[in-house]
Amino acid sequence: MKGNRRRANNAIEVNFVARMLTLVFLAGMAALFFVYLKNQQHAVGDQSRLVEKELHGLEARNQALEARITAMSSRGYLQRKLDEGYIHLDPIRVTDVARITPPVSAEPDGVLRTASREPVSGVIAGAPQRLIRR
Amino acid sequence: MKGVTGRIGVVCALLAIIFTVFAWRLIHLQVLKHDEFARLAAEKHLHRMTIPAKRGRILDRNGEELAVNIPVRTVTADGTHIQDVAALATIAAPFLGMEVSELVEKLSPAVKAKRPYVVIKKEVSEEKAQGMIAAMDKARLRGLYLEEDSIRSYPNSEMLCHVLGFVDQGGRGVDGIEKSFDEALRGQDGFRWIEHDRKGREIVTYRGQEQLPEQGSDIKLSIDMGLQAIVEKEIDDKYKEVHPKGAAAILVDPDSGEILAMACRPNFDPNKFNEARPEEMRNRIITDMYEPGSTFKIVIASAALNEGIVSENSRIFCENGLFHYGGKTIRDHHKAGDMSLSEILQYSSNIGSAKMSLMMKDQLYYDYVRAFGFGQKTGIPLQGEISGLVNPPSRWDMLTKTRMAFGQSVSVTPLQMIMAMSSVANGGKLMKPQLVLSRGEGSGSETSLTIRQIVKQETSRFIATALQKVVSKEGTAPLAAIQGYTVAGKTGTAQISSRGHYLEGHAIVSFAGFFPAEHPRLAGLVIVDDAALGEHDNFGGSVAGPVFSKIGEKAARYLDLPPEDSIAQGTTPATAQASTR
Repeated sequence: MKGNRRRANNAIEVNFVARMLTLVFLAGMAALFFVYLKNQQHAVGDQSRLVEKELHGLEARNQALEARITAMSSRGYLQRKLDEGYIHLDPIRVTDVARITPPVSAEPDGVLRTASREPVSGVIAGAPQRLIRR
Repeated sequence: MKGVTGRIGVVCALLAIIFTVFAWRLIHLQVLKHDEFARLAAEKHLHRMTIPAKRGRILDRNGEELAVNIPVRTVTADGTHIQDVAALATIAAPFLGMEVSELVEKLSPAVKAKRPYVVIKKEVSEEKAQGMIAAMDKARLRGLYLEEDSIRSYPNSEMLCHVLGFVDQGGRGVDGIEKSFDEALRGQDGFRWIEHDRKGREIVTYRGQEQLPEQGSDIKLSIDMGLQAIVEKEIDDKYKEVHPKGAAAILVDPDSGEILAMACRPNFDPNKFNEARPEEMRNRIITDMYEPGSTFKIVIASAALNEGIVSENSRIFCENGLFHYGGKTIRDHHKAGDMSLSEILQYSSNIGSAKMSLMMKDQLYYDYVRAFGFGQKTGIPLQGEISGLVNPPSRWDMLTKTRMAFGQSVSVTPLQMIMAMSSVANGGKLMKPQLVLSRGEGSGSETSLTIRQIVKQETSRFIATALQKVVSKEGTAPLAAIQGYTVAGKTGTAQISSRGHYLEGHAIVSFAGFFPAEHPRLAGLVIVDDAALGEHDNFGGSVAGPVFSKIGEKAARYLDLPPEDSIAQGTTPATAQASTR
């Protein structure tokens, strides 16, 4: 009986158990780390979404303000303000104007350039009825 | 013992069968049905999010913004996400400018029917929309979402309205440049495939395929807003002063054909286009035709001189102001015997013009009228342009040719008239009117187009010199003179016809001219349709001429044109007292 009892109480293989526990622990840690990374990824994603949203909002607000500035500095608006007396124009004599760029004058060929300041080009002779691109 | 083993075997077999079934089911779901379930899952969570393209701006030649976008939001509701309608409505209503009851009324059916997409309000400002979302987050409520949108704004309101046009609620161009260049302005929307979590928020990690939008191109017009403002102010003042049915003015660079300013009355505010009446939305410069009257005399004068039918020194007997022809009588205001070509233009002789037309062959005269661009569209990139009316010689009666010589029995658009006058200014070239300088960055500039050389340079130079006398003390338009510059031009006073008869006391008056006369930089046309004036006050020289003068004076200052040393006509608007017609 004694011999039988001894056989029943097998010795625990500490090394094997330790190895297995280590493996399980490592696998568990790896899984946890994976979950942690995944959560981090989502958190970063959420953050970038919020930053994108904020940027977008700022851009939209900026655009709205730009449109407002354009409206408030438009000729029609300024003319209205001028008529209402909020702003007024002071006449300046031509002689009091200091010119940084000289006024437009005639080109060497004696031709005053038109408002577009583009040179005049000739028409291709012999093709009076066709559209001629210059 | 055997029985026990057998039972264990049966149980094991059953378990094996059960797990085999489970395994098979797993394989069935995960492998065989993979695509089907993946599609179903994608349908539930994947969304194709549209990234709207920004509509391009419209700019003037100096980059001044004429049409811009204001970002706004469309507020939508997801009925499946709303738990407490009353609480949500109480928080959101003030931001949407709605009554709480009104919002509840909109939200309740969506919640009851579990509708996932209901538009609650459009065109909510960015600030208010963000404020609403912040308030909802604070109260831990959900169910209202924001969509990107934008509205088109025209900062100058009525100014240049007929050229710019407007867009409809869907952002599509309806009129003007907005319509003509709708495709270029609109761009191409982009997209992004995204996945939502159960709260409807995007899971950035699972962001899918993405295509960025192609933003709309900016359109740069040839219009100069400095000149446009001058033209608008002057035409507006005249419109208020003489209460006509309509009025229009246009400034053109005669050398390039670029349109620098264009204004019509009545007009409208494109920001409130739904309040505008149809007659206010008409761009009279291209959609209306009128009998041009005496301004049309430049055609017969140029044609006759160019063909050598008359010379610079020829004198034509003008019947002392009364010419009976074809059973009708043609009259002149300035009664004279012989007149030179120059005097015919200066005194605006109908008889002289009619006689010159009689010297020309019908077909040749018709060809010249067509060569000046009448009876055909100019090709300006705006909707609704008409070609005017020039009948071919086969449909002329005995009087048509003589009438056409002084601008009757022919109908033209103001744009055709100014392009014809520009051809006199630029040495006889008919230019294609140009309204757009470029479309978007890197597109390059649009080039000027010479359609044809109508008359010889010497011919146009002589006509231009003769037209300077029109703006002299003795001419018909001394009030069109501009101090410091020589002006060449022609007045037009055309009676309005109705049912085959000319109405007494109703006239379309105009002045078309250019300056400085020797080296023209600007050509302009002012036209006033049926001013509420007496028959003896309503002439091109007295009504349209002064407007041209004021526009020219301010435009010269704006463009910094150096005043000419010698003033040919020796008259100013203030001193001019001569007859004006």
